[in-house]
Amino acid sequence: MEDPGLSTSVSTHIAPTSWCHPAHKVHRFIALLLMCFLCFGSYFCYDTPGALVDNFKDDSHLNTSQFALLYSIYSWPNVILCFIGGYLIDRYFGVRLGTIIYMTIVLIGAVIFAFGVYVNAFWVMILGRFIFGIGGESLQVAVNNYVVLWFKGKELNMVFGLQLSFSRFGSTVNFWVMEPIYRWVANYYGGYERLGIALFIAALTCLISLVCGLILGWMDYRAEKILGRQDEQANEEPFHLKDILNFKSVFWLVSVICVAYYLAIFPFIALGKLFFERKFDFLPQDANTANSMVYLLSAALSPFFGILIDKTGRNVMWVIISILTTIGAHFMLAFTFCNPYIGVISLGISYSLLASGLWPLVALIVAQNQLGTAYGICQAVQNLGLATVIILAGIIVDKYGYLMLEMFFLGCLFVSLIAAVLIYIIDSTGSGILNMSPSMRDSIKETNDSDEIANLLENEVETNREETDSTRQTDALESPSPVMQRNIAQAHSDRIRSRYLSQILPNTNIPDRQ
Amino acid sequence: MLFLTIKMYFSTLLFILSISVAYSQDRKITSILNPDCNACTDFDTLLYIRADGAHDSIHQVWDFTRRTPTVIFLISSLNLTLNVTWNSETPKFTFSEEPKYSFAIAIDKIYEYNDTEDNGHFDDRYPQRPYPLNDLLWIRQDLVQSNNEVKLIMRAHHLNDYQKGTIEIKLDLLPYQDYAVDLPHLIHTSNSTLIDVNLVNLTCSEDYQASRFALHFLLVSTDRKNDTMNYTMRKSLDDEHTPGVFEIVEIVTPASRRRGVGGFLQFRPVAYTQPQRGVSVSTSAHVSHFNRTELRNDSTLKTFYRHFDRDNVLVQDMVVSFGDAADGYYKQQNYTSWSFTVGHGTPPKEGFSLFVIMIISIGLGIPVTLALSSVVYLVVRKYKHRNPPTRLLNDE
Repeated sequence: MEDPGLSTSVSTHIAPTSWCHPAHKVHRFIALLLMCFLCFGSYFCYDTPGALVDNFKDDSHLNTSQFALLYSIYSWPNVILCFIGGYLIDRYFGVRLGTIIYMTIVLIGAVIFAFGVYVNAFWVMILGRFIFGIGGESLQVAVNNYVVLWFKGKELNMVFGLQLSFSRFGSTVNFWVMEPIYRWVANYYGGYERLGIALFIAALTCLISLVCGLILGWMDYRAEKILGRQDEQANEEPFHLKDILNFKSVFWLVSVICVAYYLAIFPFIALGKLFFERKFDFLPQDANTANSMVYLLSAALSPFFGILIDKTGRNVMWVIISILTTIGAHFMLAFTFCNPYIGVISLGISYSLLASGLWPLVALIVAQNQLGTAYGICQAVQNLGLATVIILAGIIVDKYGYLMLEMFFLGCLFVSLIAAVLIYIIDSTGSGILNMSPSMRDSIKETNDSDEIANLLENEVETNREETDSTRQTDALESPSPVMQRNIAQAHSDRIRSRYLSQILPNTNIPDRQ
Repeated sequence: MLFLTIKMYFSTLLFILSISVAYSQDRKITSILNPDCNACTDFDTLLYIRADGAHDSIHQVWDFTRRTPTVIFLISSLNLTLNVTWNSETPKFTFSEEPKYSFAIAIDKIYEYNDTEDNGHFDDRYPQRPYPLNDLLWIRQDLVQSNNEVKLIMRAHHLNDYQKGTIEIKLDLLPYQDYAVDLPHLIHTSNSTLIDVNLVNLTCSEDYQASRFALHFLLVSTDRKNDTMNYTMRKSLDDEHTPGVFEIVEIVTPASRRRGVGGFLQFRPVAYTQPQRGVSVSTSAHVSHFNRTELRNDSTLKTFYRHFDRDNVLVQDMVVSFGDAADGYYKQQNYTSWSFTVGHGTPPKEGFSLFVIMIISIGLGIPVTLALSSVVYLVVRKYKHRNPPTRLLNDE
């Protein structure tokens, strides 16, 4: 993984004078824009059922359970694909081809789904969502690969923040525009056909994303030529299942929070629109706006909360605080008729705060060479939980109503609260590093400079580069590189922060093994 | 927040216990079909039900003899006997002593109206056609008469010569308090009767583009003539029994509003557009304002309330209509099914079921206990470890 801008030692001596040069800032930000729009289509189409939930029920006559299946069928493939999606990119496709392949799968899935709605065949809808899901999560991995490739050592953290924001932005825009699009289409079509046509229009965003993917692929190809960069992702070994057994108990508690907390967020958003309409008498458009507040806030706040946690540390405390505020928010939604915006806004804030505090924890718990696996596990169990629970949530609403659904969410949140408190207890009986401020962590780190904790990404860059140089001529994308010896002593202590921050997102796709 | 939860939980528990005690009284029911009628055939249906409690009797008359579906409630002491005498196939009523109170409902018309504004509400401004139900031939589909249940299902076909379809009315008296088996799971008690109205495959008028059907109700009670029925819509936090519906509509007579001894109609503002009821096939039910009106001379209600002082008989009407904006009107599904209860006393209030309470206890109680004990543990631990200056140095 090499940054184009850092690669002067490799081959290039072309000064980045023109904005056309890949190392030029403007050029990189054009690439950033393309990367953002690359995910836009899949995030936009992911939530079209959520934005048109009434219309799905009225036009296509789906019951809540069937409707929820549209979401869970997306999650099911990703229980496994989190592991193998990135692996396929690294081993076979490469990031450019991988991105285009996954984006094409996403587009095909979106089109099949729209077609299924257009002809009102539920199994075709499910097939479409399934294919869409196969592409969706792997696409995320591919795009994160691009981000690391282009921005590491530059604006990586900010770019990751922006990526998260933009993906949320995709969902938010979807919640805003699908209702008007549907109403416009309704002027020309009726019944389920108007819904199908509206979804075909939504699928256009995937086409736009695919075009972005093609342009980005070309830019990346060009950058590789100009900068003499080589794809060095061939250095990974397949991850060994036995590594999982060595994870600390704290890691498993983090996984519990990953599952239990998110269960109280995503299914709520998936079923939230009708909840606002039914309980709070919102008009459909207003209900959509309220429902999209969570995504909107996380889009706006994620980068800032990232900085906040970066400055203050004490991740466990922030996690506990955000779980408590989430509990408060759900309490308010379940047991009062107060303006639901209060509940939803505090839900959005606490959700962003938790995401910023929780994901970096994994990087502090698990050794560097197991990070990919660890994040894969977190993502996978989370997807597994979401896939099962979204079905369950639909059944709960149909049979027992929204109050019971809220009770279920509160139960999940209490489980995650217990897990967080246990993490705090276990951590404070041990090193206490999870809940330290950055300066305390730094002072610990200095004493352990040659420890495995200093096994940095930046080191990889150095080593990878050397390896790449040696393997470039052989054109062997699959070389397992058993010769990798980390020069740990070269680690500079200040880099631990950026390595740690680069893990804020789950799908960073750090090489699993070194 | 946690303490608040616990407090709320216990207050809910107490509330439910008190409810279940208050409504546990059951009544002994007896029912007679067409009492003392010699000329009656299978096409005549008048069901007389007497429900005796500890202190009073509730007499119910479910009448279709004059073809207008009518339900009359009469509250009396245990001594009163209600006699039905027949003039050919039309009934007359006499009481052995002065009754305490009476109220009644009748669905005398179905309106077809052109919902030009497409919101499901009924409005006099819309083009409309009334179909009097006393023109229809009502056929008895099912009759159950036992000590535990009295159930009557009546069906009529053809609104007129041109418009086909089926109107079905089901009356069900279950003399104990429980939630009805079908959605919207209304509460029935020994004081009330559960009524379903189904409008199946009715032919819409060709000149109406936005055809919907609405029920015209007559509401009668032995209150002051110039008084009024009272409409309230309650919002409840609990949609457990009717998922996705948080409102309950109650229409009570003046006596019920003031002293809790009158009559009431209770329903969820929801109707269903498929025989298999479910959240996804639900639509809204709307209630119009009340208007003062008169009883027709050839109606059973007129016959029945002849015994009461004219100034003490309150007669009002209302219209219940169905549908939501952009739902494709009645013709989209060709089916509307709606349920309500009519009863005596204060309308029953729903509470959290035992299942919900168990879920709340397990789902919240145990984690709260654990979380609290964790906090206590942390505080104790922190107190013990206060002496070392920092944890960092301590670890080193």
